[in-house]
Amino acid sequence: MQYPLPIAKLIESYMKLPGIGQKTATRLAFFTLNMEIEDIQDFSKSLVEVKTELHYCSICGNITQEDPCEICRDERVDRSSILVVEQPKDILSFENMGEYFGLYHVLNGVLSPMDGVSVDDLNIKSLIKRLQDHSVKEVILALNSSSEGEATAMYLSKLIKPSGIKVSRLASGLAVGSDIEYADDLTLKRAMTGRQEV
Amino acid sequence: MYLKQLNMVNYRNYKQLNVQFSPNINIFIGKNAQGKTNLLESIYYLAFARSHRTNVDRQLINFESPFAKVSSRIYKRQTSNILELVTSNRGKKASINHLEQKRLSAYIGQLNVVLFSPENLNLIKGSPSQRRRFLDLEFGQIDNRYLISLARYQRILKQRNTFLKKMTYQKEPDFLYLEVLTRQLVDVAAIVIELRLKYLTHLEQMAKDIHFQISNQTETLAFHYQTANYDFKQKNDKQTVVDFLINQFSKVQNREIKLGTTLIGPHRDDINFEINDKDLQSFGSQGQQRSCVLSLKLAEIKLIKQVTHESPILLLDDVLSELDSKRQAALIEIIDEDIQTFITTTDLDSVSKELQHKPTIYEVSNGNLVNKGVKNDPK
Ligand SMILES: Nc1ncnc2c1ncn2[C@@H]1O[C@H](COP(=O)(O)OP(=O)(O)O)[C@@H](O)[C@H]1O
Ligand SMILES: [Mg+2]
Ligand SMILES: [Zn+2]
Repeated sequence: MQYPLPIAKLIESYMKLPGIGQKTATRLAFFTLNMEIEDIQDFSKSLVEVKTELHYCSICGNITQEDPCEICRDERVDRSSILVVEQPKDILSFENMGEYFGLYHVLNGVLSPMDGVSVDDLNIKSLIKRLQDHSVKEVILALNSSSEGEATAMYLSKLIKPSGIKVSRLASGLAVGSDIEYADDLTLKRAMTGRQEV
Repeated sequence: MYLKQLNMVNYRNYKQLNVQFSPNINIFIGKNAQGKTNLLESIYYLAFARSHRTNVDRQLINFESPFAKVSSRIYKRQTSNILELVTSNRGKKASINHLEQKRLSAYIGQLNVVLFSPENLNLIKGSPSQRRRFLDLEFGQIDNRYLISLARYQRILKQRNTFLKKMTYQKEPDFLYLEVLTRQLVDVAAIVIELRLKYLTHLEQMAKDIHFQISNQTETLAFHYQTANYDFKQKNDKQTVVDFLINQFSKVQNREIKLGTTLIGPHRDDINFEINDKDLQSFGSQGQQRSCVLSLKLAEIKLIKQVTHESPILLLDDVLSELDSKRQAALIEIIDEDIQTFITTTDLDSVSKELQHKPTIYEVSNGNLVNKGVKNDPK
């Protein structure tokens, strides 16, 4: 027997999410069937809005409703340093920590030939362009400690170094192979103060 | 260390097995294709989370079943742990004391096993990849740092090879990124090589003594680790290895880009064996090669003991009929030092009388085991 088309399509949609297979998708679809219509309307509205209302900041690559983003527009931000992260959600970790007051730059991933990610797929050119503005004195690389994160950091430091700008990496308060997303505030703080020039 | 009992569900031709073992010598006797090797393989699998006969885990699952399970409690001097491996089409799950281990590197090393089978007799003549596999498995099971470094090496190697393949067709390749990948590869390659040299030197010392004995004090065995066609000695520190590799990589860069693959590093290295300063692969007799492999296997047991302070479990698959009495004697000397041993054979006559000293004998037929009890001392 096949499921009626609306539920089959919903199962198919759920399966597009990472880590969700057919079994979970089916369970979620039948759960959705029993949800209140208001909740479902909110849900579907958010799904659409996350795409239509949000843009990437044309300066730093962060997700934002207005371009440039709140941080890039903020007059009080220290414009002498740029913190480079892999994902927009990493910015949130640093903002919550409340110890960093500079600018950010989102690479949108790390170099990984195996996954077809090369220099042109990341926001690297836009970073180099930002550095031409002489107010930037330090670039802090806050990439995950995967081997790809490390290679990307090494690549960026080799690229930036000749310009004379100080490049540092977050110190290894972060365990090898760990993600910034899951690091707690204290670990991040320690990593930040112990950052090393590379 | 030893296993008291082994549980198997749907493993190869064992639908369900729950068997008790002797902490000393266990002999499995049976006709061909009954499941003797399968049984040893399951113990090996429990140790390494991979078979010595196949890289395809699916082949381990009984033809008529969706999953296979092997488990056992491993007794060590101070502790005992339950190991369990379940494999299905969704992959494999390894657990220690019912706790699933996300990384196999956290699982491997709990159970130390030395397997000796007729295929091993090819180690000297066989391909370099067989010898590298030998190093990787043996050193991986005694040193977690080796396993982790090797996994990291393989991942960076894969990235670098993919990138080199891309560079082959590019008009303006990104040399800076290649330099980064090379540097990253060299750093971890140096750790792998350093550890290989360290353990190989220990192994060489012990194998040398054993071989000297088997050969009636006439043959001196030596190992040479080769990287990029260069003999490496343990006295090379990590920085020397790094500098050497970087220099070698600069020499092969153009060829690497043309061929789209990494030409030097631990994945290409090899060991040469020598007897009385003559290359064993080219000039050794079959008997000398046999003695060398036996010495190596026995040295492996000693190395594991030295590093982990526990005796490994010894698996001898159909190999006794290949060893004469002199070589079996060398084996017995080691086993006597309290090592749980599992022997398979089609014929008890090929098993030296000394090895039959109170073994527990099992008859294997078509995926079933029958305990024939302790055989009384034939002497
Ligand atoms: N996945 C499997 N399911 C069921 N039987 C299997 C499986 N793999 C191998 N066998 C059977 O196991 C037997 C071989 O066992 P093996 O242990 O190699 O024999 P031996 O006793 O000669 O060492 C063969 O009869 C083969 O058909
Ligand atoms: Mg067999
Ligand atoms: Zn911005």
